[in-house]
Amino acid sequence: MSEAPNNDPVDVLIIGAGASGAAIAWSLTETRMRILCLEQGDWMTPSRYPTTQVDYEAAQFGAFNVNPNVRGLDNDYPVNTADSPIDVLNYNAVGGSTIVYAAHFPRLHPSDFRVRSLDGVADDWPISYDDLDPFFAQNDRVMGVSGLAGDPMYPPKDPPLPPLPLGRVGEVVAGGFDKLGWHWWPSDAAILSQPYDGRDKCLNLNPCSSGCSQGAKASVDITYWPQAIRSGVELKTRCRVREITLDEDGMANGAIYYDAEGRECFQKAEVVIMACNGVGTPRILLNSTSSRFPDGLANRSGLVGRNLMFHPVAYIRGIFEERLDTHRGPQGTCILSKEFYETDTSRGFVRGYDMQVVRGNAGPLVTALQGHHTGQIPWGPGHHEAFRQRFDHSASMVVMAEDLPEAHNRVTLDPELVDSNGIPAPKVSYTLSDNSRRILEHGLARGEEVMRAAGATEVEKTDLLRASGWHLLGTARMGDDPERSVVNSWGRAHDVRNLFVVDGSLFVTAGGVNPTSTIQALALYIGDRMKKNLANLFDD
Amino acid sequence: MDEASSRRLRALLDTILPASDDGRMPSAAELDFSAYLETQAADFQPVLADIMSRFEDGFAEQPLAARVERAREVASADSRAFNKLVFHIYDCYYQNPLVRGLIGTHPAPIFPTGNEIPAGDLTSLAAVQARGKGYRR
Repeated sequence: MSEAPNNDPVDVLIIGAGASGAAIAWSLTETRMRILCLEQGDWMTPSRYPTTQVDYEAAQFGAFNVNPNVRGLDNDYPVNTADSPIDVLNYNAVGGSTIVYAAHFPRLHPSDFRVRSLDGVADDWPISYDDLDPFFAQNDRVMGVSGLAGDPMYPPKDPPLPPLPLGRVGEVVAGGFDKLGWHWWPSDAAILSQPYDGRDKCLNLNPCSSGCSQGAKASVDITYWPQAIRSGVELKTRCRVREITLDEDGMANGAIYYDAEGRECFQKAEVVIMACNGVGTPRILLNSTSSRFPDGLANRSGLVGRNLMFHPVAYIRGIFEERLDTHRGPQGTCILSKEFYETDTSRGFVRGYDMQVVRGNAGPLVTALQGHHTGQIPWGPGHHEAFRQRFDHSASMVVMAEDLPEAHNRVTLDPELVDSNGIPAPKVSYTLSDNSRRILEHGLARGEEVMRAAGATEVEKTDLLRASGWHLLGTARMGDDPERSVVNSWGRAHDVRNLFVVDGSLFVTAGGVNPTSTIQALALYIGDRMKKNLANLFDD
Repeated sequence: MDEASSRRLRALLDTILPASDDGRMPSAAELDFSAYLETQAADFQPVLADIMSRFEDGFAEQPLAARVERAREVASADSRAFNKLVFHIYDCYYQNPLVRGLIGTHPAPIFPTGNEIPAGDLTSLAAVQARGKGYRR
């Protein structure tokens, strides 16, 4: 094994430079410890994002495809999803999936942390909304969150920036919610509505999912990382970790990784923090086998990789006579409804869902291609009339269901598929539960009601989007009981006292909202607990 | 590409995206698809050549309805390749400045000028708030 040119031991080794890795690196800088982050991807160059190119729409079907199996870049690893109705979506770079996310930025709700107590299903989290509240606010300030205070579906919170504009599409669909007497509210978004902290405001371009040239969207390569690096954190790119290693006392002592030249290297560390999210983190832990942990590191519970949760998504599109300028504006949700978020068992399911009105990703090419695949816009004679009726005349809504944890939904190591370094690829085995299916059915029916109330003349519905596996949760869950969880209430592995997890793997339940805000708040919370316990970080 | 092949390709482009009935929207054959292929889709050229080999010499001379029927047969035989063809024809068409102007979008990337969109009316949120607290602890 060759050693990397500069692999002096570090105090803290963070694996992954995405949303959570960036947040905890930033949080720990005040400790003055030597902190190193290894990231398998590269730095991005915002000036080269497709937003500035004539073929900006096509890019999301190629190099900026959100599916790593389609994108297939050297920095990516394949994911076997043959046993899943939902594909895993991600991005591998400094910034991780925040490079291509829509930056819709809701928090989990207070009830999401207490589903066993309130609804008798799954498990309660070992922490509460109130525990995370100060870290939600701290994260909102660093990322730059736009939103409107006063939403009665949340405890009081005060986004640092005013909300993004609704646009005509937001206004029209809000009118539908108003007619039905249902809740709606402008979405919180990690997109700047005003200049903030050296970054300029959103230009209302589209789509956000192929990078933001303006820098208005808060990807962590332009928020947390510059601050963390200025404070002394070292970040090495093109370094793909294969496994975490142990010393003779069963403590993590570093990681074996491949550098940009494909050399196998070792990095020694006193503390190891996993920040690769709900598929990447269990992949590395399961690949870190030893006589002490033959089934994967920190896996005495057998729960590493289990309880994988997505947010199953259904899709509704209303066609309107009025031109709505749907292709304009940031892609992330402009308004949302929590009308059916909390449990009401008379609906035939437990827990609930979010209704999110989206825009910005319906440019002419996407409109024509969606129409081609659904048969609504044919090629040949009739194309132009069908295109004219739909382009900029549609409003789209996603129904995002809360998925409950089930042990059989899991990430394992594929016995054959490997990445470009020969590391086993993750295999996802997932079945949509009856409860999640009933949630989506309910949401589709209610979504159609909203569109009709808003004036839609035609409504198209898709019951489960395959390309919806953005949110990768639950595969190294937190808890107080080592038999029923992988890490404790502040992210430390029950089995390895200097190994931490800070990403979406921690989630005990999924809630029904986009998780990045909560993932980052968790990372900041764990960082805070680590700082407060530095003197006895490894004690029982 | 020889003249006969070019004629067949133009006919296929005109079949997939003919001009609109009112003549306002151009046919895909009126745009420079060859230049698009060279600059943005070079790796598609072998696939295109394979697709084109399935169209007979007389394809270009057939009326539109017959060409549509033949294109459907080719699409059924290899939908994956045909969908790629449709993707590239649409991509070429809908990034063309003339077409973009005709459908009411900016003819070129609008970075860094951006779009203006209305802030929207938030007054009805007072009624939403009046319903009271909607979360559980």
